[in-house]
Amino acid sequence: MTLRCASPQLAALLEAWRDETSGLVFVADDQTGEAWSEVAAELTDAFNLTQQSLANGLAVVFVVHNDDLLGRNGPPRAMVAMGLLSATRTAALEHRKAGVAVNVIAREDDTEPSLIARWCGILMDGELPTGELIHLGSEHLGKALP
Amino acid sequence: MTAVVTGAAGGIGRALCRRLGQAGHDLVAVDVSSRLEESVAMLDQEGLTMHPVQADLTTIGGVEAVAAAVRKFGDVQVLVNNAGITRDSRLVNLSNDDFKAVLDVNLGAAYRLTLALVPMMGRASIINVSSRAYLGNFGQFNYSMSKGGLVGLTRALALQLAPAIRVNAVAPGLIATEMAMGIPDDVRTRMIAAIPADRMGEPEEVAELVAFLATDASSYITGEVIVIGGGRSLSR
Repeated sequence: MTLRCASPQLAALLEAWRDETSGLVFVADDQTGEAWSEVAAELTDAFNLTQQSLANGLAVVFVVHNDDLLGRNGPPRAMVAMGLLSATRTAALEHRKAGVAVNVIAREDDTEPSLIARWCGILMDGELPTGELIHLGSEHLGKALP
Repeated sequence: MTAVVTGAAGGIGRALCRRLGQAGHDLVAVDVSSRLEESVAMLDQEGLTMHPVQADLTTIGGVEAVAAAVRKFGDVQVLVNNAGITRDSRLVNLSNDDFKAVLDVNLGAAYRLTLALVPMMGRASIINVSSRAYLGNFGQFNYSMSKGGLVGLTRALALQLAPAIRVNAVAPGLIATEMAMGIPDDVRTRMIAAIPADRMGEPEEVAELVAFLATDASSYITGEVIVIGGGRSLSR
């Protein structure tokens, strides 16, 4: 498993899956700055790693924050989160016949890292679901559909 | 009333300029292409005056050129971030250059220009021209990522700039522009067959929606994405 994650706690939990699953887990960086160059760097990193993973027939899971999908933490994080979600839908379309899944997990502040790690494992373990946004929390209820 | 429209030399951009000009806006029309002059001449024949700025919005100099032009008119009431390009390819074959070009023009330019013009806005409306492809579209990883990013930008700015400035996005599907007419006939025919409206949209229809979002008739709408795609988001 290829892991791109700035959070040491989540990274440590995901490491436990490294030998059991194959694919990419890409956790969007909470520290993306205001400059466009930082947004572009984050999305470019996602592009390069996703391309590598799918070229090898391996699943991809992006992890973003629900608040970022709704724009609550400012433009840079919102552009990254929604950009990753839209890219997920396209990548899933392109790889569905090959049976390679691409999905997004939306976490919240109090989402247990162990829950995120467990869902990353589930989503990398099969052909379906694909192109989905999995909310690990309830803050999205009654809000805009991404 | 000043309106700034980017991507003004293209089919949708020209329709946007025409419609906002008819609504009485002073138009600052921006495009990187020298074809911008064609738009200026065409609308001039219709009695509408545009103030063209040929600028590359992926550069700081380009953004500054637009800001300088806008300062001559005072406050900006409407900003339409419409500039966009495609470099289609399946993800596994997509080059770094094509990825970066689409991201920089479709998303980076909108972000940078908006940041530059917001200080010149009082009560205003920003409309970002996204795409139905933000829902996902085969062969358009870069394009759909950029247009999804525009939706994120729309939401974040809507929260940050309320209540004075409203920010919305429109997401056109297949529109009868030169870009669409460049699609091979058989492919385009199949695409149209999948649209419940049984036709391509017209640039003027997108312009009408943008014009609505630009006026106080839509004063209770902000942070939304409106898909204008003839029902294509529902059909197989």
